[in-house]
Amino acid sequence: TAAAPRPWRLFGAMCLLRLPRITQPLEKEEEEMAALMGQIELEKSQYSDHEIRKLEEEEKLRRRKESMYDDDEAPGKTVIMAQDLEDKWEQKLLQFKPAPRVTDADKNNNRTSLNRKLDRNLMLLVKQKIGNQELWLLPQVEWQPGETLRSTAERAMATFLGDHIQAKILGNAPYGIYKYKFPRAIRTEDNVGAKVFFFKAFLQSDDLSQAELKKDYLWVTKDELGDYLKSEYLKKVNRFLLD
Amino acid sequence: PCRAQPKKKKKVDVKKEQAQKDRMKKKIRKLEKAAPEMIPIEDFITPLKYSDSNRVRSLPALSFEETERRVLLMKKWCLFKQNQDKAEKAAIQALIEAQQEALKELRLESEELYQAAIRRDEELFPFERDGPNYTPPLLGYDPPEGKCVDITKVYTQ
Repeated sequence: TAAAPRPWRLFGAMCLLRLPRITQPLEKEEEEMAALMGQIELEKSQYSDHEIRKLEEEEKLRRRKESMYDDDEAPGKTVIMAQDLEDKWEQKLLQFKPAPRVTDADKNNNRTSLNRKLDRNLMLLVKQKIGNQELWLLPQVEWQPGETLRSTAERAMATFLGDHIQAKILGNAPYGIYKYKFPRAIRTEDNVGAKVFFFKAFLQSDDLSQAELKKDYLWVTKDELGDYLKSEYLKKVNRFLLD
Repeated sequence: PCRAQPKKKKKVDVKKEQAQKDRMKKKIRKLEKAAPEMIPIEDFITPLKYSDSNRVRSLPALSFEETERRVLLMKKWCLFKQNQDKAEKAAIQALIEAQQEALKELRLESEELYQAAIRRDEELFPFERDGPNYTPPLLGYDPPEGKCVDITKVYTQ
């Protein structure tokens, strides 16, 4: 390029999101509304075949108890009543135990596990050395001339998680930017500071056993980011994160 | 007479046959011109067995307090949803602003990177994802066997 080389170094960072696997609990208004809708639907509806059968059988039973004469059916025959069917279905439901919504990782607060907080987004944080400090950051790697920023971000993901990651990157454009100037000690004419461009990706596969995770990593939700990231960095990152 | 009659028969027959063919063709054309029959939507036709009077539910009438409670709840719900929608729109707006700022900075850096960034990503759509369920998947669960027979009626126009 004919323009003079800019004094900013470029970095590409990847914000890898694990999308929620279970639904979030309903708010109070939502629960009340759901109950109301159910009630209105019941009031507007008519009897179904099953209910009519149940009502008729209750009538027959009542009549048989009041007057002790045999009906058309011989007493030896066993008839399956609708109520029996309902009891049987109820029993079957009670026998089934679904997986718990609050997992063990939740209880132990094991932040390296992906099974935590199944109803929220989790993002990857790694510990990286910047200058002479070890900081918690979204995985980032310096841009090499000749590649697009998106491939820089992909490279960043591959450096920290290995090649076998199935992630869907959302588009070629960056989602956010963090600009900072180097401390005066290492600042030169050509090297004023760095610009970190953030990209977003969704994690497709749930199993990361193939990934070679080097160093320290964490999967955290948006609220817990404040525990690890510096305030300026955090402000910029929060701008492009939905929750 | 013997010579004249067979000739008349032929002419009259030919004429009658032609008239018949014309009538048939007219009928066919009329049928074709008529609009094609609409495919009935089965959801909009209530089957007659559901209009029996013994099907009507007998429930106690709603009290005044109940109707009041319902109306107030509807109003609260209205407000709740409005706030939720506003929050969503504000969040999306913030996202867009952050992206625009990032692209502006990128343009300052290098034009070719900027052009690469604003190019459309062909592999993004169609984007498919299974939505979240109520409970996470149970390990080692064996779903019960069963056969599903499809009895939907298919109409051809």
